[in-house]
Amino acid sequence: MEARVKSEIRQHIVSTWLSGDERGFSEDTDLQEGGILDSFSTLALIAFLDSTFSIQLEPADINAQTFRSVATISRLVMEKLAKNGAAEAAR
Amino acid sequence: MRIDRLVTPWAERAPDRVAIDGADEALSYAALDALANQFANAFRAAGIAPGDRVGVHLPRSGRTVAAMLGALRAGAVYVPLDPSSPPPRMKLIAQDCGLRHVVIAPALLANWIAAGVREPVEHFFLGADGPVPEGAAPAAVHPWSELKATSGAAPEPAGTSPDDLAYMLYTSGSTGVPKGVMISHRNALAFVDWAADQVGLHEGDRVASVAPFHFDLSVFDLWSSLSRGSTVVIVDEATVISGRRMLDRIHAKAITVWYSVPSAIVLMLDDGGLAERGAPSLRTVFFAGEVFPMKHLRRAMAAIPQARFFNLFGPTETNVCVAYEVKGMPLPEATSIPIGQASCGDTVAIVDPEGRPVPEGEVGELLVEGPTVMLGYWDAGRRTPAKHPYPTGDLVSRRPDGELMYHGRRDHLVKIHGYRVELGEVEAALNAHSGIQEAIAMAVDQQLVAVAVPADPAVSVLDVKRYCATRLPRYMVPSEVRLVESLPRTSSGKIDRVRTRAAFIAADWSLLKPAQRAEARKES
Repeated sequence: MEARVKSEIRQHIVSTWLSGDERGFSEDTDLQEGGILDSFSTLALIAFLDSTFSIQLEPADINAQTFRSVATISRLVMEKLAKNGAAEAAR
Repeated sequence: MRIDRLVTPWAERAPDRVAIDGADEALSYAALDALANQFANAFRAAGIAPGDRVGVHLPRSGRTVAAMLGALRAGAVYVPLDPSSPPPRMKLIAQDCGLRHVVIAPALLANWIAAGVREPVEHFFLGADGPVPEGAAPAAVHPWSELKATSGAAPEPAGTSPDDLAYMLYTSGSTGVPKGVMISHRNALAFVDWAADQVGLHEGDRVASVAPFHFDLSVFDLWSSLSRGSTVVIVDEATVISGRRMLDRIHAKAITVWYSVPSAIVLMLDDGGLAERGAPSLRTVFFAGEVFPMKHLRRAMAAIPQARFFNLFGPTETNVCVAYEVKGMPLPEATSIPIGQASCGDTVAIVDPEGRPVPEGEVGELLVEGPTVMLGYWDAGRRTPAKHPYPTGDLVSRRPDGELMYHGRRDHLVKIHGYRVELGEVEAALNAHSGIQEAIAMAVDQQLVAVAVPADPAVSVLDVKRYCATRLPRYMVPSEVRLVESLPRTSSGKIDRVRTRAAFIAADWSLLKPAQRAEARKES
């Protein structure tokens, strides 16, 4: 599951902000230092994550640490999905 | 006609109608008229001479408008100063145009004093009650209570000519030193009357004041409204930062006419619930100052279906010289809307770099002649008359139906999400990268785009972005970077920006052929 989340996020970032050029990009690339995320592209990425994974990211979830790289974003998405799953199971 | 005479007829006809509905206080037409006279009489008593400049450094309110009117009634010129601008910039302006009289908020005066700004000011007039700050000497500080005790009788008319200088708006010069755009009564009123007539502005209208007074959008909000007996509703500085608060104000005050940059409207869509809540009181929406991205314009028009939408266009130097009414929802395939045709009695021409008119459909520089063209610049303490016709630096073309289309700036200043971005600065950063042979930057639909020819096939998009992020503020890092084999050239051998841009927008990758890619060296 986590591998699929990672690969979807990675593909989205590469096609949206790197014109499809994957060279040098890895799941640990720093997205801020890499000039990929600013305030506007972060908003767009949040919208993508919410709709692709049917999650609801809250302002508290979003900071420089959680949005550092594909790996950290994937971790955040996995946590959200796990919480959703727990909520569903409890219903 | 002169701006300072617009209010008095309404003060006589409808004295109790609200002229300015501010965040803290509302002023009726009679109260505004009297307060303007008090300011004029106070300026006279403090030795103001016709043609003197008066600085107005206050948050937007009825008192601020009264101070501006009072300066004009004393035969002087008002210079609105940005309340959020730092004192050193105020000092540059005060010295540039010799401000001897300044109306100022007590807290802002304290900042001026702390920054050591006194010269050449001789008189500070406080715009509110409060302790008189220490340390302004040798300048005199006149408390608000003194102004309120001044006679409100109409002063002897000072200025008579509509060609007198009325106000100056300081804009940023390309060298970083602000320069004053000098606007006469005739210049301003050509636009004020035209805009009021366009929408049939009347006594029942409630017109939003969203733009700061040192931006020319405010000329409509204030003087068009007050010339027709409408009410100006101040959407204050604390409100304009939030889409929800702006829309709340529209609903609470039943605002009928709105004029702002598109970004403010997009903010109400994204963060104010405009699509769901609508804005039933609005009958007219003017926008100007930047390109309205089509997808957002469509959302705004769908959310406010009963309102007329107008795209107003023109630099501060000509105010609005071209205008377009967006009649009906733009077609899905439309990628931009026109800026329209000449307005306000102006005439326009489109010329090539040699000054010859260009054929229909071709891009050239927009020239403007007519009543809205400024008197000139107040620059480095000197008055420089405007060139006629005035070259705007804007690139436009004319469609077969006569409507003008906008193609960006001739110099390379663009706005991205409201930030002014000098493309030359972005290009300098790109070209400083050792792996880039040549590059250009451009703005497309609010996105900053770079098209670059790599010198080394191992250079990746990530390399380029990462490098830019080390040299430029984040909002100046291109969001899209295209690596191409070569850039199209003009006949004179320069990079053909117009064709590059058109090819990029059309996704024409035969003209912008992707560059050869070698595998990147392993990231360390």
